[in-house]
Amino acid sequence: MTAIWSIARTTLNEAIRRRVLLVILLIGILFLVIAPGLEALSPRQEITVLKSLTLGVIQLTSAVIAIVLTVYLIPNEIERRTIYTILSKPVLRWQFLVGKYLGAVLALGLMMALMTGALLLVFMIMQDTRDLATLGEMVRVPFMFFVQMSLLAAVAVFFSTFVSPIVNFFLAGGVYLVGTVFNSLFQVLSENKDINPLVKSAAGLVHAVIPNFQYFNVQNTAINPGQGIQSESLYYLQMTGYALFYIAALLAGAILIFDRREV
Amino acid sequence: MGLAIETRNLVKKYKTRKGSSITVVDNVDLQVEPGEIFGFLGPNGAGKTTTIKILLGIIYQTSGDAFILGKEAGDIAVHRELSYLPEKPYYYEHMTGLEVMQFYASLFGMKDIAKCKSLLERVNLGNDMNRPISQYSKGMQQRVGLAQSLLNDPKLLFLDEPTGGLDPIAHIEIRDLILQFREEGKTVFISSHELSDVERICDRVAIINKGAVVAQGRLEELLVGGRIEVTANNCTTELADSLRDSHNLVSINHGRMIVDIPDSKNPNDLVGAIAKAGGEIVSVIPRRKRLEDFFLEAVSGDNIAKGRHQPSMLEATETEETDS
Ligand SMILES: Nc1ncnc2c1ncn2[C@@H]1O[C@H](COP(=O)(O)OP(=O)(O)O)[C@@H](O)[C@H]1O
Ligand SMILES: [Mg+2]
Repeated sequence: MTAIWSIARTTLNEAIRRRVLLVILLIGILFLVIAPGLEALSPRQEITVLKSLTLGVIQLTSAVIAIVLTVYLIPNEIERRTIYTILSKPVLRWQFLVGKYLGAVLALGLMMALMTGALLLVFMIMQDTRDLATLGEMVRVPFMFFVQMSLLAAVAVFFSTFVSPIVNFFLAGGVYLVGTVFNSLFQVLSENKDINPLVKSAAGLVHAVIPNFQYFNVQNTAINPGQGIQSESLYYLQMTGYALFYIAALLAGAILIFDRREV
Repeated sequence: MGLAIETRNLVKKYKTRKGSSITVVDNVDLQVEPGEIFGFLGPNGAGKTTTIKILLGIIYQTSGDAFILGKEAGDIAVHRELSYLPEKPYYYEHMTGLEVMQFYASLFGMKDIAKCKSLLERVNLGNDMNRPISQYSKGMQQRVGLAQSLLNDPKLLFLDEPTGGLDPIAHIEIRDLILQFREEGKTVFISSHELSDVERICDRVAIINKGAVVAQGRLEELLVGGRIEVTANNCTTELADSLRDSHNLVSINHGRMIVDIPDSKNPNDLVGAIAKAGGEIVSVIPRRKRLEDFFLEAVSGDNIAKGRHQPSMLEATETEETDS
């Protein structure tokens, strides 16, 4: 346990020093801050659009950070041979992998917390928002993004045990796109009767296997308060469980592959 | 007590892109006694690092057996009693020397900061322990490596090219530290191609070439058979020719002749023969066999002799050499 924790902490410390990540983070925060100035909308629409814009910035920035952070997580250890000294200690490979993953998630959480902090400041100072319900949404939605990105990180860690970082970048990015933007497309395909059965079952398979990242995008209810989910906290809890299930499965797969792999 | 390291018919093959396979470790049998400093010598690409990685369970053998401290290689329990300093190691650069030590200590579940500090002092980094690793010289980084390898007070140390790429002063520092390990009764397995280091510190060596062990034994046994060099002036070519045989190396240039004979022969006979033919003896110098001589003998030209059932390409080069 100490080993996992100290690998995680080291990974976190290293991640928050990586320049690429800091640059992406700064760009994200910059967009959050200038977003209110970009607006030329009627005051009634303003807050709704601003919410959706800034939350979108956080989501996109976090996804990029999650992928860039994790595709190099294991390959870097091998290339720099730091993994050899670690594995020559009484550390099992699964402990190493879990430690690296936890460290990455911690780093991700820290960076997303910073962005969320910036978001709150934007709403409180620039928009003079004092409405607790709105501010609460500005915390809950990014939290669900964090759950989503932790899942995305597990996807990338899984792939990183057998593909190169560059390939992984596109694979993990692809899974994320399919899981969010195209999810409904695959669902429609798999339910359409007029379509080639092969394509239909392939679409069904993709829809079933790839986690539905759309579940975590609760911003639509935040942006249009009309279409609320009946019991929000229950929903968040269920979705976190859904993510944990996938994360556990992905890490178990990664460990199976990594255990047999030569490093 | 059993052997510290033992391998039997250890083989590691890698698949090439074309689908054939190359043998990187070829039927290696090693026996390392507890408490000795064992030198694992071989040119670059001989298979030293690969063998060590198999012993540590970082990669897996294709066939054969490997045991360390009586347990099968890869057994994680045994990792409490050994340590490994990889070739050209790298440490997380954002850490200070002390943080590196604490990190590795934590992997053993240890939190003993005093021990981390005293080990750094032992390798002469007492004044630099709070500087980031990125500011350390290569020699300093290697000393941090040795310090971290002592954290668990290991019985067995694997040092892969511990002096590789270091300047002469750093060489000596590292060498002295390794000699101290022997005093403490540790078994040390050193891979190296720096023969002078190995010659000074190792009790026994194995020489590996193209994956196969070509010699293994105590240094003083392997290095028997020194040479004696006799130099004389005023010699004739006839004399030189008469002295030349399969054991003696003879060269002559403007009457100055150098005869190199094995030390098993009595040089008096040679000196007498030269004097009788009118030659003037200049010097008689015994030379102990150097590890370097032995190494070159062992490594050159025995790819086939050692039974490598190997690609036709290798054999083709061999044939060419015998032709010429
Ligand atoms: N993963 C690998 N795949 C293919 N060949 C390898 C691999 N690792 C090492 N080799 C080859 O094995 C040989 C021995 O390498 P190595 O054990 O590092 O030698 P040494 O440490 O003695 O210099 C080299 O020819 C190297 O190219
Ligand atoms: Mg090597």
